Amino acid sequence: MSEGKEKVDLKNIVTSGPPVAGLVSPSRENLVEPSDKYKDEKSFERCTHCGYCRHVCKVYNTSWCETDYAGGRNRIIKALDRKDIKFDKEQIIPSVFRCMLCGNCKVVCPVQVDTLSVFQNFRKKVVKKGAIPEKLKILKSSIIENNNPFLEKHSDRFNWINACEEGAEAYERSSQRLEPQVKEKGDYSVGYFVGCTSCYRNKELVSATSRVLKKLGVEFTLFPEERCCGSVLFRTGLEDEAMELVKHNYEMIRKSGVKEVVFSCSGCFSTFTLEYSKFANHNLGFDLYHLTQYALKIVKEKNLKIRYTKRTKDDPLLITYHDPCHLGRYCNVFEEPRELIQRIEGVKLFEMKHNREMSWCCGAGGGVKALYGDMALEVGRDRISETRACMVRMREDRLKEAIETSAEVLVSSCVFCKNNLFQVATEDNSPIKVMDISQLLADCEFY
Amino acid sequence: MGQSNNNLKSNYRKSREKDLENQFLEFISPYHVSTNPFELESASADLTSLPAYHYKFKKKYLASYVIRPANMNELSLAIKKCRDLNIPVTIRAAGTSCFSSATPSMGGVIIDIRRVNKVHEINQEKMTVKVGSGISWLNLIEKLSDYGLEPKTFPTSFKTSCVGGFIATPGKAGIGVLKYGTMESTIISVDLVKPDGTVIKVSRDSDQEISLNDLVGTYGIFGAIGNVELSITTLKTSLEIIGYGFNSIEQAINFYLLIKEDLPNKPLFLSISERNFEKYSHIAFPKEEWIVWAVYYDKPELTSKSISDVKNQASKLNCVEIEGTYLKEKWRDISDAEVSIGSSTRNLIFQEYWISDKRLKKFMEIYVKKVKNYKFPTASYAISGEKGWTRVKIFGLTDIDRTIEFFAVKAFLHDLTVQAFNQEDRLYTIGIVNTFYLLKYKSEEVKKWKNLKDKLDPKHLFNSYRLTKARMKFWRVSLLFNMAKLLYKIFKIKRSK
Repeated sequence: MSEGKEKVDLKNIVTSGPPVAGLVSPSRENLVEPSDKYKDEKSFERCTHCGYCRHVCKVYNTSWCETDYAGGRNRIIKALDRKDIKFDKEQIIPSVFRCMLCGNCKVVCPVQVDTLSVFQNFRKKVVKKGAIPEKLKILKSSIIENNNPFLEKHSDRFNWINACEEGAEAYERSSQRLEPQVKEKGDYSVGYFVGCTSCYRNKELVSATSRVLKKLGVEFTLFPEERCCGSVLFRTGLEDEAMELVKHNYEMIRKSGVKEVVFSCSGCFSTFTLEYSKFANHNLGFDLYHLTQYALKIVKEKNLKIRYTKRTKDDPLLITYHDPCHLGRYCNVFEEPRELIQRIEGVKLFEMKHNREMSWCCGAGGGVKALYGDMALEVGRDRISETRACMVRMREDRLKEAIETSAEVLVSSCVFCKNNLFQVATEDNSPIKVMDISQLLADCEFY
Repeated sequence: MGQSNNNLKSNYRKSREKDLENQFLEFISPYHVSTNPFELESASADLTSLPAYHYKFKKKYLASYVIRPANMNELSLAIKKCRDLNIPVTIRAAGTSCFSSATPSMGGVIIDIRRVNKVHEINQEKMTVKVGSGISWLNLIEKLSDYGLEPKTFPTSFKTSCVGGFIATPGKAGIGVLKYGTMESTIISVDLVKPDGTVIKVSRDSDQEISLNDLVGTYGIFGAIGNVELSITTLKTSLEIIGYGFNSIEQAINFYLLIKEDLPNKPLFLSISERNFEKYSHIAFPKEEWIVWAVYYDKPELTSKSISDVKNQASKLNCVEIEGTYLKEKWRDISDAEVSIGSSTRNLIFQEYWISDKRLKKFMEIYVKKVKNYKFPTASYAISGEKGWTRVKIFGLTDIDRTIEFFAVKAFLHDLTVQAFNQEDRLYTIGIVNTFYLLKYKSEEVKKWKNLKDKLDPKHLFNSYRLTKARMKFWRVSLLFNMAKLLYKIFKIKRSK
């Protein structure tokens, strides 16, 4: 056992029972690295069409269409590349856009095809050739004209502060920073990038986040000139259009002088982490934190304890955590949200069968919610049913302890996951309550 | 005039296609009847990293429709409709057995069976499960594990391949085969949709025009497998893996056969792999030329005894015990390792041989000898099949851009195929591309299948060009590969100069 590049640590490998590869990705530690010849968006050349990505593709498991999972789509990319098939800008749309870009296929790929790069590049190429769904055209023009995808006025972006005292205070601090006549501008090092969905559609989350930051004793500011981060454009092949937004937001943050930027939206967070960092040659000049990371950081620094005020240690709120693709698989943030939740007295965390890097997508990613709404709901339905299975296990566990339970909550840390799963839970009269982690934290006491 | 004739033909074809589409829509939801050219392209291919032209030799390789029935009724209606209208049919599931086993050869309709995937019954008393044949093995494994149960036998490609596919392809080698028997032995019954759309139940003791034996490994030429009832077993409580490295193929095979034949308890999985296979799929790997490894899965005391029996035998031999962590990872990544070889190359070419244990040594020695004539990388491994048989998989790693080498790899695998048939062995997977070998070497078997095929599907519209008919001719392929070998030699000499 001495040959090869280097000996790697192969401990802690699951070996009980037959292979359970649907729940775990390949251990990868000792599988060969792919050759450098086909990298990133060209890595589709390596695809052997083994189909191991089928099992994890929630779109495929809803549509059963061969072009909807990574291996099938890679075949189309190869065929187009080699001119084996004629490009048709109408017919190709489903093969391109019926993908949540959740990245689970990338995790399980034995030959490490970088499916996210491949598919985003594929979208970019076909959009340039005119294959763009009508709904996407509307989103694009709204972002260009209004700086948000919701056809809302840009001037209404911060209307939410009218109903949020903590937000209004932060806005005031930010305005002072921008006013030339104000001499004492304060030294505010933390900025909160709110994001379009929270600003216009989910004001409860932005209020909750503002409250949490205040409870943590953080004097944060907002960015009154904030525009859409560009996530929707990047994910749907409109990268060129997104670059204007990147430039604007990046310069805006640099000019503000903040050193730490907090996000409650996982989509914005991943766009800054990946695309903005690339734009700034991986030297942004400020640090990026998702709320879950930032709250944990402050709790640790200040040695704070957390208590959920609506329940007690003896009668905890039973929750399960749904990993958003943008926070988890995109940015590798799996443990901080869990550590944060586990520190909360009055809350007990249970894991779903598919968690962390093998977590199922909620169904809303990659533009699927906007373009193929029914499909997004079907995928979300699967996740909710897994949550329910988890809840059954929770109940059983609780029964063993002979304690009654009442609350059953699915917590996520992404506004899109929250919305899609909330819609499914509501439409299906599910007993599961869906909430964002900011809402959970807003009901906590930090001491 | 010619152009208007073409227009007329094209319009007629389009209206006929539209008409057929409407007829499918009478019983299948619109979402599952597709004429999208991109879906047709993707669904008309199977697991292969080869460029499309490689499988497009089949002339009408592209289907005109993909339909996805949801149950036996829809499946039967779809097949009947195609028969009534004389439209070729290809039944497709995961497409993992390669060799164009599940791809069209006469255009027509692809019936994708993966929506026929319900678990109808798990019977814990009879220890059986009844499922739709389109269920993936992994889904079935997960579903059964909730009840403390598992399938007896399943393929190493279980992450994506389907139950029906493992029946239609041989299903003679894989996880659990040595311990519990082949796929065929675990089948209680199959609901078969015959090429005329009628449904019959085929079981071990049923007295029909078609037997269970006719169905297994015949690539669906006699009908579509709908629901399947399988015998199952309980999850066991102890799994241990043991493996030894050898520097001689003879010693490795002797040890492999000793575990397989002489030791009382049979492993769940038993394999021999070549150092190159480990090298091209793993970062760190054992230095010995051959590894023999076995997975035991029983009650703790029986597993321990089996392991100690193997250790005891190995202590008498000149071999090195392989680190447990390495073997554990091999087991966990059992599906991934062989695909992982694809990381080292752009085009992975392989052939699967079904070799009698009596002739395994001879075959492997010929492989080792022949490979020395070539400079391209190769790798091999073998897994135990039913008693007396082993499936040997040999890979050639190449890139289609290096045309001469690419065809030399194919010629090398062809030579080994000829060797296998000449020594009374055969290929494991036939599909479309290997059928001409059967026509050449197993004409009596082919005749038997052809008689039944003529009876059930006289126009040969159903899963055609598998086992009984081939477009390729043995002599033509041999000529091509001989030329490839010659060119490779010239190229090699030139390069060495």
